[in-house]
Amino acid sequence: MFCYQCEQTDRSNIESGCATAKGMCGKDATTSDLQDLLIHAIEGIAQYAKRARALNVPNNAADEFILYGMFTTLTNVNFNATRFSTLLQEAATIRDQVKQSYMKAALAAGQIPEELTGSAVWQPAEDLEGLLKQAATVGINAGIEMVGPDIIGLRSLVLYGLKGVCAYAHHAYVLGKESATVYAGIEDALDFLSTAPTDAEALLNRSMALGTLNLEVMALLDDANTGSFGAQQPTQVLITPTLGKAILISGHDLGDLATLLEQTKDSGVNIYTHGEMLPAHAYPKLKAYPHLVGNYGGAWQDQQKEFAEFPGPILMTSNCIIEPLSQYRQRIFTAGPVGWPGVRHISDKNFAPLIQAAKALPGFKTNVSEKTITIGFGRDAVMGVADKVIDAVKSGAIKHFFLVGGCDGAASGRNYYTDFAEQAPQDTVVMTLGCAKYRFNQHDFGDIGGIPRLLDLGQCNDSYSAIKIATALAGAFECDVNELPLSLIISWFEQKAAAVLLTLLALGIRNIRLGPTLPAFLTPNLVQVLVDKFGLLPNTTAQADIEASLARIAA
Amino acid sequence: MNTHTIELMTRDGHQLRFNCADDQNLLAAAASAHIVLPAQCGYGNCGTCYADVTQGDYTLGKHNPAALSAEDAQKGGTLLCCTFPQSDLHIALPFDQDRILIGTIKNRCADIIGIETVGENTLRLALCLVEDEEGNQLAEFEPGQFMELNVPGQDIKRAYSLSNIANWEGRLEFLIRLQPDGLFSTWLKEQAAVGQRLQVQGPKGAFGLQESGLRPRWFVAGGTGLAPMLSMLRRMAEFQEPHPARLYFGVNRAEELFCQAELKALQLELPQLQVVYCVWKPEDDWTGFRGTPVDALEKDLNEMMVKPDIYLCGPPRLIDAAETIARALGVPIHQILSERFLPT
Repeated sequence: MFCYQCEQTDRSNIESGCATAKGMCGKDATTSDLQDLLIHAIEGIAQYAKRARALNVPNNAADEFILYGMFTTLTNVNFNATRFSTLLQEAATIRDQVKQSYMKAALAAGQIPEELTGSAVWQPAEDLEGLLKQAATVGINAGIEMVGPDIIGLRSLVLYGLKGVCAYAHHAYVLGKESATVYAGIEDALDFLSTAPTDAEALLNRSMALGTLNLEVMALLDDANTGSFGAQQPTQVLITPTLGKAILISGHDLGDLATLLEQTKDSGVNIYTHGEMLPAHAYPKLKAYPHLVGNYGGAWQDQQKEFAEFPGPILMTSNCIIEPLSQYRQRIFTAGPVGWPGVRHISDKNFAPLIQAAKALPGFKTNVSEKTITIGFGRDAVMGVADKVIDAVKSGAIKHFFLVGGCDGAASGRNYYTDFAEQAPQDTVVMTLGCAKYRFNQHDFGDIGGIPRLLDLGQCNDSYSAIKIATALAGAFECDVNELPLSLIISWFEQKAAAVLLTLLALGIRNIRLGPTLPAFLTPNLVQVLVDKFGLLPNTTAQADIEASLARIAA
Repeated sequence: MNTHTIELMTRDGHQLRFNCADDQNLLAAAASAHIVLPAQCGYGNCGTCYADVTQGDYTLGKHNPAALSAEDAQKGGTLLCCTFPQSDLHIALPFDQDRILIGTIKNRCADIIGIETVGENTLRLALCLVEDEEGNQLAEFEPGQFMELNVPGQDIKRAYSLSNIANWEGRLEFLIRLQPDGLFSTWLKEQAAVGQRLQVQGPKGAFGLQESGLRPRWFVAGGTGLAPMLSMLRRMAEFQEPHPARLYFGVNRAEELFCQAELKALQLELPQLQVVYCVWKPEDDWTGFRGTPVDALEKDLNEMMVKPDIYLCGPPRLIDAAETIARALGVPIHQILSERFLPT
């Protein structure tokens, strides 16, 4: 295996990357290699899908497979080698269907169908050994001796950004929102990657184009979330347990949560959110269920301890699973793209076994004194008090805004975000999103003239809110976003964050502080390009970075 | 007395460490450090706690050669329950981390809810766990694992593989071969009744399904060695796992066959499952395979280009013969997994 797509990748050798029998995330070499091969197979689908679309025979079922398949290869999503063996066979079948419709449409249009090569002609080997042999030639590092690490790094930036785009588009898709423009953009990017591009300029431009495409995807997702469940409202959420039987739901899929809430209505079982599911409590149509009682635990990296202690079953939706320990392996269920060998998967949204498990498990048996946190400052809530916020800035009561957020991880050095948020001066406002917020969201930040100093915008999936708020503020002050008293302190872990970063860069937002470490796939040359072009800044210390931000020291 | 650092490496690459004095066996020292490793008898007889020492010196206590052959011992193979360290040790465990319990093995009570004769001299015993003090009722175990059953007030304790799968009703099922003059067998025949309460300890054991893409899975069972195979196949059906699967189920005489109805029902849920009934000493009217499951395995392995994962359970002689044949026909050692039924 070779994989360096996430922040925790092995950096103990000269060449960073996980390259032994098992990656830092727990993904074994077989699964990793099959994931590489699945990307190759998906590129083959896209080669035909793009051409079929140009001839007005788009195939949305193929695009749905592309979104799902790409999503399964993100960090901490699917670790099941068997699932990938099956997906590879499906990919070949779907590719052949799209190819057929393309050939037919081309001939009908009086064109000679193109003879495609590379991924387009791949045929899955019959057995695992054969598939692994095929995988050995198509990993992200393939051809590095010919093209060098900078080109491989740029291809990685495009591929990993694209994985994030697909994951967000899949979130929107499961809530009923899809877009032909988005599908066309994804097919085009995959088709581009299938050519093994070697032009640095073209690769960089492509990554910016993906950033722009991702903005459209984030808007689609925002529409899917607010359209399905209403706009987030500021809400007090209980973070202590309530007496009774309990189910814990983690990951990002609000649709799965809505289904579970409906299926557990009047069952006497309480539902708790974990990790990135926290913002669910702020959506009117979800918080209307009285048995959505509270939030339990912290960010994803704490799940092994928290799931082991939770006295009920756990449902892991969409992403962010880590190896289930034996203490809870029999009572964790996966849904959507998530998978772990030997763990029950619910593919049809029938959560009956989960509910049955909740009834057989003890639930919470003692009362504790209640604690709450406040969440739900999506763009509507913030824009609703825009006048107050603008006045506070004009009067000097608010000196600066920080957006401190993104995805969290287990690595040391992530205390930076706790320190940053807690040490931010009293006349500044901290906006946050993603699971990095758990590092400081129980801290009492107080308020500035009734405006809370900590504004929780939602999931990492709600980055669109942050962009809308920044754009609205820039509009109110008649300036560019880069001229606002706003600093972005972004923590990244996996490929969704890569997509959001590309969006911010594509919007021309400068001076983003990215940490806790820069992606291993960015070579020193590429980092220099990002620093020169976008003023991207690596983290130093929280105090120094706060001071530099307030002094508007820009790169 | 000296204390040594013992480093364990699981099959899936996880490391665990604990200390062990030179007069302490590794299994007991691990348990004192709250690392509960798959084991059963605790005195070198059953072979459940097999592992490979990759570095360091140790002494190996008295053990059953059927549980650890001299040849394996020569190559560093050992039984943790009778291994005493003479230096720091590195040990490779032949199973994944998920088979290690951090904590202590649970002792539970369970009521008999069914005793049924399923074949000549073979019973199915069904138990239902009693809710524990925390209100837990679910039966948590991995397919392939076993439980130890203990009759209260009587010094009768036996280990049996589970034949059902983890469930939320607390149900545990076992297939038990009645041994002439066996203590547990006699108790089952003469005293056991629905409603009686037993003590159960577990789950234990490292035997179970291994994840290896879509490689075919072949199961070879002798007699009640069928129990863990049924559990694994039922899990495959529950998870709708697509691996090609074959079961070779062997008995001496056709009258001894059992669970045919269950296997037929499983084939409806797992259409890719082929079942080969093997009768060693059949009557003239037997139309199925004539011979041992090892004979059937040899015949079919010869025709396979892709070598399957092979799961073996039953008497040691059957397992040894099957292992020898499989190795000779090119099945890599890591694709052969076995559970031996040794008398306890």
